[in-house]
Amino acid sequence: MSATAVSAKMHRFDCMRVLAPLLKDELVILSLGASVDEWYTAAPHMRAASLFQQQLGCVTPQAFGLAVGLPHRRIVSLDTDGGMMFNLGILATLANEQPKNLLVVVWDNECYQSIGGPPTHTAQGRVDIAKIAQGAGIAEAHTATTLDAFEALCRRGLVAEVPFVVVAKVSKESFRDVRRKHSDGREDKYIFVRHVEATEGIVVMGPSEHN
Amino acid sequence: MTPAAVEAVIAGLKAAGISVVCYLPDSLFKELYPALDADPDIRTIRVTNEGEGAAICGGVFLSGKRAALVMENSGLRAAIEPLARMGMGAGIPVVMLMSYRGDLGENNWWAVPHGMTMEPLLTAMRIPYRVVDDAAKAKQAIQDAVTWSYASYYHSAVAITGGLVR
Repeated sequence: MSATAVSAKMHRFDCMRVLAPLLKDELVILSLGASVDEWYTAAPHMRAASLFQQQLGCVTPQAFGLAVGLPHRRIVSLDTDGGMMFNLGILATLANEQPKNLLVVVWDNECYQSIGGPPTHTAQGRVDIAKIAQGAGIAEAHTATTLDAFEALCRRGLVAEVPFVVVAKVSKESFRDVRRKHSDGREDKYIFVRHVEATEGIVVMGPSEHN
Repeated sequence: MTPAAVEAVIAGLKAAGISVVCYLPDSLFKELYPALDADPDIRTIRVTNEGEGAAICGGVFLSGKRAALVMENSGLRAAIEPLARMGMGAGIPVVMLMSYRGDLGENNWWAVPHGMTMEPLLTAMRIPYRVVDDAAKAKQAIQDAVTWSYASYYHSAVAITGGLVR
């Protein structure tokens, strides 16, 4: 069922169901909040390839670090308006560094949804994250307000050889009829790292000297 | 910073397998940053604040490469939030190399708080650290910090002080 019926805006979960089939070998870093359960439900095939990170302002920097370490692999950051506003500096860093393998999606629901929905700085309609990104020097920074536009932008961003930012204007509602993730940050990290090791043929967390 | 200290630090980073350095420049490490930029074996990333640098280092860790965060020790204060969440919440380590502003011998009033807060904050965060004032010990200190962080999957730090940075 579609969640968009309750709002004129896109619903994040519907966007995720558009994005998920486009992903296969990518690695995903995603932000905190209800989007975690939504993503693991919308993209079950990406479970081991997705790492939930809990801190505002660190999702896209971590995704960029991953992109630096694995330049042959496409990395996707699923960030938020609150997270991006927390550290706008990463947009300037991405502009200077020009990673060729990083797609940043910003779920802009204009609120801090996970704590009940108080407004973020984008709520008053003056603050435009895509324009901020453009001003920081990211030429490919766009806003999507329809699912068709969102899908088209993601398709471009997944093959772009410049940093690519898609700000998805989504409704405040979360989609609650989803399966809950049971793992914590440590288990998530091990799942993710073992997936990186298996798919890259590398060792990230190796054995100790003695058992 | 003396040429010998710059050489020792870079030798330590390389011996520890560090290939990415995130930095926000400061005055005590002034000579280190261009040397890092010029080194063909190390990719430098200039960041807008140290918390961002810590998070980028965390992402590099997840890729299997090794990164270090290089900064003035005041940057520790800016980086505490992501360090707490990454280290305590997920076991993602960041190795830090800091200039020890505010240590005995400091002659700037504004730098005194950096010295007063660095070691208590490291202790509060349970981050082991070594203070180095001898170029001959810098390389080993950096190697030891990286080795520890890859056994504990937690942060470690080396603070450079004294004649090495003045």
